[in-house]
Amino acid sequence: MGCSSSLPANSTGGLGNINNENSATDSKNLKVKLVLLGDSGVGKSCIVLRFVRGQFDPTSKVTIGASFLSQTLALEDSTTVKFEIWDTAGQERYAALAPLYYRGAGAAIVVYDITSAESFNKAQYWVKELQRHGSQDMIMALVGNKADLHEKRTVSSQEAQEHADMNNMFFVETSAKTADNINQLFEEIAKRLPRPTPLS
Amino acid sequence: PPLLLSLSPAPTDRQNSKSLSLWAGGQAAMESPTSAASRVDFYGFLDRMRRPEAADLFRSIKSFLASLSLDEPSAEADGARVQAFFAEMEAAIRGHPLWADATHQEIDHALEGLEKYIMTKLFDRTFAASPEDAAADAEVSDKIGLLQRFVRPHHLDIPKVLNNEASWLIAVKELQKINSFKSPWEKLLCMMSCCQVINNLLLNVSMTNDRTPSGADEFLPILIYITIKANPPQLHSNLKFVQLFRRETKLVSEVEYYLTNLISAKMFIINVNGHSLSMEESEFQKHMESAKLGTQMSVASPSSSQGLATSTSGLQKQIDAEVDI
Repeated sequence: MGCSSSLPANSTGGLGNINNENSATDSKNLKVKLVLLGDSGVGKSCIVLRFVRGQFDPTSKVTIGASFLSQTLALEDSTTVKFEIWDTAGQERYAALAPLYYRGAGAAIVVYDITSAESFNKAQYWVKELQRHGSQDMIMALVGNKADLHEKRTVSSQEAQEHADMNNMFFVETSAKTADNINQLFEEIAKRLPRPTPLS
Repeated sequence: PPLLLSLSPAPTDRQNSKSLSLWAGGQAAMESPTSAASRVDFYGFLDRMRRPEAADLFRSIKSFLASLSLDEPSAEADGARVQAFFAEMEAAIRGHPLWADATHQEIDHALEGLEKYIMTKLFDRTFAASPEDAAADAEVSDKIGLLQRFVRPHHLDIPKVLNNEASWLIAVKELQKINSFKSPWEKLLCMMSCCQVINNLLLNVSMTNDRTPSGADEFLPILIYITIKANPPQLHSNLKFVQLFRRETKLVSEVEYYLTNLISAKMFIINVNGHSLSMEESEFQKHMESAKLGTQMSVASPSSSQGLATSTSGLQKQIDAEVDI
């Protein structure tokens, strides 16, 4: 499978942060709601678990639920970005519910599996859906996961890259298994987020 | 000690026994709204509000309630006014001498108390008060009553390894408690506890079986199934009430995520068809027809799942009496 299932020992787990204060967003500390879309089985939650587990800052608050996760990423320019990651159910029968989740999201990751052309079709559907109904300034990433299984590849990087370019998204291939490009994905999203203009 | 807020372990408490028990047990380790602690907390708020120094705040509350009562009830319009009042009171409490040395948490307790007080007072006016809401509640509940008779876990893509009757029953019971409370926060807590039980189940199963966690692909189907099993009383109205009247600044992030899941469970149920349950439409219609027949035949024996629908707990009656000042 796409990722190991061990879970970090240093998290509050579950709904531990139920009552946390909505921390203020300023120009140095950003907060973003990020929604994950993609067919079931493409490894959406593995990507996020990899990201959340990979951060070693002991002072950052981590929340790991089964489908909601949050993690703060520190950037080189000393800004921090707190990602609040909303996972969505990828099965076809739940597709109509997705708008409830991506409403108000500042970023979206659309995931497919490079070994499944069908999951790429599904990804294209989500991209179209987000273009039509998502907010205008949403940062969008197209992610081909399971890059470690390149010998079984059925979706070419070039095709995906073109699709991403056409839709003003950035594209990356990841492996939740080897952690390849996982941090880069979130760093790139963080860099692209609009910075609030400081009051002068 | 943390009272109403004991749900949120401080970051430094990460490895304390409570968070460990979240991983180890299927039981929710969170404070129940019925717990002695949250009761003491609410009475603490009332006591403080009765002090002479709080007279100005108390007057604001009274005059707000009086001015609202002059207008025709409308949940949406009331929601906007109540939210504005909460924001106003938050500023007033933060700047008030009675809370001059209060910690962030103590202020938050006061605001929880305020929300509970106001919404208990406004409950009859704001909860399921319109004929449309009553109709929507009946629609959801009737639909679930039929679905209960034939929907099984596999219809929703729930893998067998996650079938855990004991955990599911706990989640069902948590959700069925929503009508035992009148404050948005306590209603929300029932929903959150339900979600947490499912969360714990998923995390436990993935750890013990060294299984890849599937996140929302598994969470949402189980939540929908639990909602069908529970047939929570007045689901539509409860969701609407929480959305309109829970303090806006608290309806964010994780809480908002889980609330959204329950809203989407309701939406799935309202729009359910053969396709969404992995069956031919004709088969679905047949199931619905025979479920209707079954419902008509057993109409004399009331459904046990609705036992909590109308009875407000003794505790809530006590609170009603207390706010009647």
